[in-house]
Amino acid sequence: MELQINGQMYNVDVPEDERLLWVIRDTIGLTGTKFGCGIGICGSCVVHIDGQPTRSCITPATSAEDTDITTIEGLASVDADGQEILHPIQQAFIDEQVPQCSWCMSGQMMTAAAFIDANPNPTTDDIITAMSANYCRCGCYKRIKAGVARAAELNQERES
Amino acid sequence: MSEENTSQSEQPTESRNMSRRRFLRILGIGGGALAVGVAVAFPTIRREAQLAINSGFSSLAPGAQMPESPWVWIRIDPDNSTHLYLPKSEMGQGIHTTIAQIAAEDLDLDWETIQTYHADTDTGFADFTSFTFGSASTISLYHPVREIAATLRYMLLTEAAQQWNVSVDTLETRSSMVYQRADNSQILTYGEIVANHQGEWSLPETTPSLKPNADFQYIGRPIQRVDFHEKVTGRAIYGLDARVEGMRYGAVARPPRYGAELTNATVGDAESQPGVVTVVIQDGFAGVVAETRAQAHTALTHLNLTWEGGTTWSQDDLEATMFVPDTGGTLVQRAGNFASLTDEYAVFESEYFVPMASHAHLEPQSALVDVREDSAIVYCSTQAPNDTRAFVARALGLNNDAVNVHRTYIGGGFGRKLGIPVAVEAARLSQASGFPVHVGWTREEEMRYGFHRPPSRQRLQAILSDNRQLQGLHHQIASGDIMFGSPNVPAPDVLAALLGADPLALTRIEYGIPNILVRYYRKDLPIPTGSWRGLGTLPNTFSVESFIDELAHRTDIDPLEMRLNHLSDNEFGQRQRAVLEAVADVANWGNPPQGHAYGLALGHLGTTVVALIADVSTQDTRFTVHRIWCAVDAGLVVNPDGARAQVEGTIVMALGSCLREELTIQDGMMVASNFGQYPLPTIRDTPEIEVIFVESSDEPIGGLGEAVIGVVAPAIGNAIFVTSGQRLRRLPFQLA
Repeated sequence: MELQINGQMYNVDVPEDERLLWVIRDTIGLTGTKFGCGIGICGSCVVHIDGQPTRSCITPATSAEDTDITTIEGLASVDADGQEILHPIQQAFIDEQVPQCSWCMSGQMMTAAAFIDANPNPTTDDIITAMSANYCRCGCYKRIKAGVARAAELNQERES
Repeated sequence: MSEENTSQSEQPTESRNMSRRRFLRILGIGGGALAVGVAVAFPTIRREAQLAINSGFSSLAPGAQMPESPWVWIRIDPDNSTHLYLPKSEMGQGIHTTIAQIAAEDLDLDWETIQTYHADTDTGFADFTSFTFGSASTISLYHPVREIAATLRYMLLTEAAQQWNVSVDTLETRSSMVYQRADNSQILTYGEIVANHQGEWSLPETTPSLKPNADFQYIGRPIQRVDFHEKVTGRAIYGLDARVEGMRYGAVARPPRYGAELTNATVGDAESQPGVVTVVIQDGFAGVVAETRAQAHTALTHLNLTWEGGTTWSQDDLEATMFVPDTGGTLVQRAGNFASLTDEYAVFESEYFVPMASHAHLEPQSALVDVREDSAIVYCSTQAPNDTRAFVARALGLNNDAVNVHRTYIGGGFGRKLGIPVAVEAARLSQASGFPVHVGWTREEEMRYGFHRPPSRQRLQAILSDNRQLQGLHHQIASGDIMFGSPNVPAPDVLAALLGADPLALTRIEYGIPNILVRYYRKDLPIPTGSWRGLGTLPNTFSVESFIDELAHRTDIDPLEMRLNHLSDNEFGQRQRAVLEAVADVANWGNPPQGHAYGLALGHLGTTVVALIADVSTQDTRFTVHRIWCAVDAGLVVNPDGARAQVEGTIVMALGSCLREELTIQDGMMVASNFGQYPLPTIRDTPEIEVIFVESSDEPIGGLGEAVIGVVAPAIGNAIFVTSGQRLRRLPFQLA
């Protein structure tokens, strides 16, 4: 099976019913996408499939063929000098010192990145609704709220 | 780092602890790098400082050997980079940043040159030093790290003086370099000093004096976490992420009931399932090694397994067992004579119940173990690498020295990441299969196996005099095991028989009441229970602080006054008063918003004291927590932003126990197996949170990772009583 992840094609030989999460993590070795529950509740495993936030732990790998998959490792960009430019959500999560253990944060950031893309000027209520299906056991929710708001600002600053 | 010069006395003065001087020794000679380390006992009863100067460090630092490695060590390389090898697991509490700040302070480091690492067991860990537990990391490391940093700085200064042939008094340090005070262009970086050095390094006779607090540039500042760049980019490696070439994946059969034993097992057609590498059946253990995790788990279902025995308990059995006896128990605390009062006055009495709960850390137990002929390498997200090493060594028939445990980042610990069963499972499967094997538990395994927060039922009796002053308090605690249930404790039953009360129940009334009696009843349950964030702090504080509130309302005293009226007239009581007044002030106690109510609770964990006010409203059977204010006194706070994050997060975790978290048992097994039946608090549940630090000391005196876990439930419950008239004595709260 061929999967396109972060702009790169991977030719993988995996069992037919394998979930996308484990192909990304175990077969391909991109371990930035995390496992938390395996039933699509906690949101640790969120990746983008054609730009849509998707819970990879319940997504059959076969259904992601011929799509454009982005994981946390592909969220930052590289400028002309080869310098890594963090995505606004990554920069904002550092600025606001959002994570603690950070296990859930890949999923939080992937969820938020897609959200601010679609909602450039979110209200606090919008942010709460968008982020309400991502668990953080360290309880960083106050800062997640602040981090997503900051990321939306950063996004606009960069575009202007 | 600031451009300000530092002005420390360059002459070593007598250390506060001269006895440790005898442990200083030179362990090697070389020109490559300079490293100084310090060993720390737990708690800091015993301190040893060791100096190691070693040229043999490889670029793969964890493999680099100090001749006798201390627990914390600081290495400076010729390229002027500074490497900190740290004995504590980074599990979200920011301890690597905190220790780096402490080291940078007395060594005058350039922050950008610092790299932090988890030290592994080969670089020297013993006992509790490497155990990340009990919110003790900062207080146990603060002085040792400062002293070793000051020693290293002094050595660099004296060496620079020799290299320049000037007096050490003419030199100062700044940003990882030594410069001449008279001519700021004369600079040697620490790395240059180390590279230029010839011959032996010499130790100062005593520990140089430490930097005065007024000159602090790192300690007390909200410095950004050192681990966040690799975390937000997905590069940080946790236990579930550990990978080596040629590894396979393992899964282990679990019993259908707690305590059931595997009495018969045959391979069935498991070996012919896709991807299966090895089926392992040995003395009560059955597991599969396969090419993928899913294949390993699928093959497990093809084994023929017979489980016998175990408990058939359901929740009714548990609740019937969790009663508080009228007599007996183990005496935990006594002041005056409570029993002598009961004839004179009326007795008020209430009982409270806190159910079992899951740690629900989002990274499951996970370990990768590579067993070789006479050795093993373990990669594990563990709070207890030393115990992990010992248990793996025992399972493999190796000496401890033959097993090296590499700690990874931990994706949530909360007392559950002792790391032992999963590492032993991976070790057995690796030994049997000949491959490095990774075992990562599923959420179902997490929620049902391992151990859980023990259930606790508590009875409180109070005797009040006519002037509404508490004359006596009788606190009876019935709890499942915490320490006695730990897989890390050898012979827990013997210990339980010896001690009676579980020391990790952390029971202590901290009010100035003349007659206090606290008794503990061990409930030997057929369900594994153990350490959960704050240990006994949550159930104890919920019970005591709900009860104090009940007494306040019964006697028509303001709950804040009630608490202030009963503080001890000592330093601890003064610190309690300070946090109570601070939180009452910031929340504007007595003036809740229209339709809301305030609830208050006072708490402590060890030497940390906390007070919390919750702003709550109720509608029908629902309650909403709008705001929380929390005042905390843990002494000097090394990183205020990181500390604030710990308090905020603890509040959210405790909120989960108020809202909906509860594990129940049926037919010998937890009912919940995933988040569908055990939902966690979300961003939607999270109130506004304001944290105030009251720093009553110029050094850290208490931990911050758990201290707030107890005050949240009683504050919310006390507010619910005011707004609804319902006194809720059981978690999670359910309004009628």
